[in-house]
Amino acid sequence: MLNACCGLNVKKEKFSIMSVDNDSESQDCPKFKWVDITKDFFAASSQLQLGELLHDTSFGLFEAMSAIEMMDPKMDAGMLCNQIKRKVLTLEQCVEEGSVKVSGLDYQELIGIMDATLACMVTWIEGHSLAQTVFTNLYLHNPYIIEDRCLKAFCIIMLKTVDHIRERVNRAGTVEEEDFQPMSYGFKMAGDVTVTRALGMVKEVEEELGKLSKNTRSKPGEERSESQELQHQLVTALHVRLRFYKLFYSMLQSFAKEKCEGLSTAQKQLTQIVELIPLMKSSVPLGIQEGSSAASKNDYPTIMGFEPLINQRLLPPTFPRYTIIKPRLDSLDYIGVLVQTLQGVTTVPELASLHNTLEAFMDFSKSSPCVLSRSLLQLMLLPPNRRVFGQQSVVDALKDTVRAFIAPPALSPKSSLYNSSVAKEYVDALMSRAARPLCTMFQVTGHNRARQRDKWAHVLEDLSNLQEEADKVDAFLHSMLVKTERNRNHLACFGTWVLYHTLNAMINYTLSGFELELYAIFEYQYVYWYLYELLYAWLVSTLHRADSFLLEAENAPDMTQKGRSSKKKKKKRTRTLTRELTIAQAYQQMFGGYYKAVVAFQLCGKLKEPKFRFDNEEVRYSHRFAPFAAVLTPPFVQYAQYKETSDLNRYEPVPTSQEMFGSACKCFCQAKELLDSVSPQSEEIQTMIKIAKTNFVVMKLVVGGHKGDSKDPPDFDFSQHKVLPVIKLV
Amino acid sequence: MAGDADEQEAQDGGQNKLVDEEQRKESRLTLEQWLNKSMRIKMTDGRTLVGVFLCTDCDCNIIMGSCEEYLKPPDCLPKEDPRILGLAMIPGKHVISIEIDETASQEEGNVGQLVQQY
Repeated sequence: MLNACCGLNVKKEKFSIMSVDNDSESQDCPKFKWVDITKDFFAASSQLQLGELLHDTSFGLFEAMSAIEMMDPKMDAGMLCNQIKRKVLTLEQCVEEGSVKVSGLDYQELIGIMDATLACMVTWIEGHSLAQTVFTNLYLHNPYIIEDRCLKAFCIIMLKTVDHIRERVNRAGTVEEEDFQPMSYGFKMAGDVTVTRALGMVKEVEEELGKLSKNTRSKPGEERSESQELQHQLVTALHVRLRFYKLFYSMLQSFAKEKCEGLSTAQKQLTQIVELIPLMKSSVPLGIQEGSSAASKNDYPTIMGFEPLINQRLLPPTFPRYTIIKPRLDSLDYIGVLVQTLQGVTTVPELASLHNTLEAFMDFSKSSPCVLSRSLLQLMLLPPNRRVFGQQSVVDALKDTVRAFIAPPALSPKSSLYNSSVAKEYVDALMSRAARPLCTMFQVTGHNRARQRDKWAHVLEDLSNLQEEADKVDAFLHSMLVKTERNRNHLACFGTWVLYHTLNAMINYTLSGFELELYAIFEYQYVYWYLYELLYAWLVSTLHRADSFLLEAENAPDMTQKGRSSKKKKKKRTRTLTRELTIAQAYQQMFGGYYKAVVAFQLCGKLKEPKFRFDNEEVRYSHRFAPFAAVLTPPFVQYAQYKETSDLNRYEPVPTSQEMFGSACKCFCQAKELLDSVSPQSEEIQTMIKIAKTNFVVMKLVVGGHKGDSKDPPDFDFSQHKVLPVIKLV
Repeated sequence: MAGDADEQEAQDGGQNKLVDEEQRKESRLTLEQWLNKSMRIKMTDGRTLVGVFLCTDCDCNIIMGSCEEYLKPPDCLPKEDPRILGLAMIPGKHVISIEIDETASQEEGNVGQLVQQY
């Protein structure tokens, strides 16, 4: 730096042009003395060699790469702004000019503005920036200068709704930049108006319109002109809309109540909203619509009060993201789906056990719900008081869950351990350790589907540590237990429960690869092998173990009431894991079927591994299952080990492709039978049965020589199920 | 014969190279003294950018840090709020004029004063 300064003194005299801005000095805070160096700079830089960069030691090519390029239409948002010939005016300027009305709006205009704003809001929830969606509505920049009461009330409740959604989504923290943009660009969200006041304002106008709507209704025997009828329709449409915005905002408020106590109210409000949506949809054409002038990428025709370019200057200096506002009807459809999803969300707390809840969370995520419903579900599970559904502490909920899953003696009132304070201390410590990874698992399901894969891999580390801890606690409790109850066992009890979750996380990780279309067909062999021989095999035995613990616990003598325990009564088992077990077995058979089918297709030359240069199956294998290396139980199967155990030459005689197809056929058949026995049958299970049946038939056909001469690879069709394909012969 | 001519050329080239080398060194020094100083660039579309000069190459492509964008010419009133761009590269063909801020060098004598201030 010093060097540069000294050099400058010498060079100063040389400047041919020296223009010092004296006038800017007078009012500019940071005082600059601008000196023109254009010629010198051009002359000097032209002396550099091609490809040579002149920069400071602290600035490298890496930093240079992240610079945005000016005058590049793809990167330079400001440039696009300059291209627009039209003048972009603020709300105040528009009002002054008379192009935007703040009073005396007619019904068509109000309906149009409301519907267009809702479309903007939906577009925002779908992941666009507020500046390019909701705040293209100029009215929202300053609702206080609006004189029309209806529009003012609407604008304020809209701002409050947007602000509330933003807060909820941020708090849930399960969104990524590709899902949602939380930036508020410093817009004022009517924070000085209380919730009650905002709702009250809407209610006032709504009631007035309700009366008007009643008065303009056609009376029997009355001759009505068309304009009277239209007037009535308009008033009613506006009334319905205000009701909707009021209910929508109050519904969100109900969800946000402490301890989930607003859920029943939310349910009622949701049913009311469901009724309003068709009415709103049918009256969309009544609102004013935008003209049909030419639309460019970021400028498009709008109705009064909207200016797509008003916030162009607020956009981040990254490349501009073009926002296409969802059509009004589509956005109402979107709200319709959202409301339905939320209705589903309100029933989740009824599921009692955490395992069922986790399952519900996973199912919920499968339909790829929007950020708002995802966030609301997450917030419901653990509201600010950090109690499950606002009721039970996490540790207690976990204890209940473990008790239902494996009935550890330390948690069963019948056992002597139950009243031991030492045992209780150990169990409590373990459960509070378990709280974090378990809550993380719930959180994982709140992320978008693509992000979940990484998150499952991540949670494995925590679960592996927990597993170790659980095994230690089990060993200690066992040593305590055998002192009083000789023939009871506490080994691998909590451990089994943790293992169950570890395996589930591993399975979810592996299966997500199918859904995200990560695996190539020539990779199927080891993926199916891992699922069939390892993950589901372990899961089945884990569930067996838990189930036998449950049985043992039910038959255990009651240590607290010694006298009466001699009375032996055979009662029906109350708690079993049969359902989980059967489903796990069915999955295992399904993947067994796929694995054998793939091997058979390879044997008969229908599936060939492509010979890429630098391709290495071992590298691919290790990469696919890399996160499993962090887990101690089940131990990671190295590639060499996989190769050895899956080698068909181990069998005598070496099976033919026909035999392999035959056993694949058996696997699918078994899967189908297992699934048939599951009750109640969910929609997913029925789909699985259908797939198992189809694959069974296909395998049977191959054994019979169907398309035997064709060398074309089979088709794996994932259209019915994201994970389980239907095999098709080509 | 042919060999002689080549030798002659090579010698000339060598001398030219030496001169080039000198020139290059000088122009590099010229450019280096501007590094990390405030710079104002006018672009072909009328926008003005103000930032810190970080990097350039033979085509006069310039990278500026903490860059701010002004839509109107700098002396225009009322003063507009700039848009923050951060790190920006201006292609040489879009550069109309370059200005450098000389306040720092003027206050060189008052460095001590500056140090005290901070």
